[in-house]
Amino acid sequence: MEKDLRRLVIKAFHIKNIEEGAENRISPSGTMTIDRGILEAILKKYPQIDHADIQIIRPGDRDRYTNTMMDIIPISTKVLGKLGEGITHTLTGVYVILTGVDTNGKQTHEFGSSEGILRDKLCLNRAGTPGNQDYIISFDVTLKAGMGQEREGVLAAHRACDEFIRIFRMQMKKFRGEACTERHEYHDVVRPGKKRVLIIKQVAGQGAMYDTSLFAKEPSGTEGGRSIIDMGNMPVLVTPNEYRDGIIRSMQ
Amino acid sequence: MGIGPSTKETSLHHFRDPLLDIVSADEELDLMGIIIVGTPDDNEDKLLVGERAAVWAEAMRADGAIISTDGWGNSDVDFANMAEQLETRGICVTGLKFQGTVGKFVVTNDHLSGILDINKSAEGVETNMLGENSVTALDARKATALLKLKMRNREKKE
Repeated sequence: MEKDLRRLVIKAFHIKNIEEGAENRISPSGTMTIDRGILEAILKKYPQIDHADIQIIRPGDRDRYTNTMMDIIPISTKVLGKLGEGITHTLTGVYVILTGVDTNGKQTHEFGSSEGILRDKLCLNRAGTPGNQDYIISFDVTLKAGMGQEREGVLAAHRACDEFIRIFRMQMKKFRGEACTERHEYHDVVRPGKKRVLIIKQVAGQGAMYDTSLFAKEPSGTEGGRSIIDMGNMPVLVTPNEYRDGIIRSMQ
Repeated sequence: MGIGPSTKETSLHHFRDPLLDIVSADEELDLMGIIIVGTPDDNEDKLLVGERAAVWAEAMRADGAIISTDGWGNSDVDFANMAEQLETRGICVTGLKFQGTVGKFVVTNDHLSGILDINKSAEGVETNMLGENSVTALDARKATALLKLKMRNREKKE
């Protein structure tokens, strides 16, 4: 007899159209406007960053240059409860790609950089990448000289990007749940008598571009997160629902 | 060091990880949780963290573990040691790792028979195309099926 430990509901809102606009706004009916003017206020807090740019990449528009991709981030927010239980709102049809370089042209990647023409550098339709019908919001950071491969610089890029995403998270918290386009329900269950198994994920923890953050306040966020490096790379246990609610933020 | 863009797991990958989907949906398995373990620089630390993960798994009375890494190269030291530490404690191990031709284990031991290759390029190289060599649902199904087989064989012997 299965024992149900807890439930997580993820409600998705599908984004159909993104345009540049006078403000950063998202509606539950599927439209989004982006105002890159917000960068000025965000970047003031990050002296490691020289400048940054936000671009809307429409489906099919991939014959364009990209700096190396540090991460691909879903836009999700906690509406009820903590990570791993309660309700999460997430967007489908759009994902944020964080890219980085420094003013010397040094890409924020040591081994096997992915800068180049986006079509040749991003394999679509995988678990970790957008689909071919999805919008991409490119958050491209140019760090100050020498900061391209420093932990401090890379962290600043992730945090600045997270602040941008936060603007949408705050609005998504107020979306009426029943307006969602998809609803997924997940249960952490015990199956007594069945073979007891663990998944063990070995994640990056060597330094600057090889870092993993856990336990942020928001799904796939950085705020409040703890670096696996700072935790001595020691094993940490999470529940299946915490994991699928975005408790890991890849800081590569 | 080797965590190239075609094997590295993005935050989006973790958010909708096929390995978790497949294992948690399998009604023959009781998934106890997910252990996240880092890859330290220092060799002594590399051996330590894998051993601690194995001690934890033993304390939880795990029958089996699927271990996965999004790196290759020097992180193989941690990975191979972890497989050994788990198996010497009687826990069946399968896993997923990029190998191909360039990412073969830099260190080996007798406990890596259940580690499957996630390389997808014909040449067996890191293609530097983000997402191209990441774990897919098919990879996850293979590792899960192999683990069930190993656990069944172990049971027969006992």
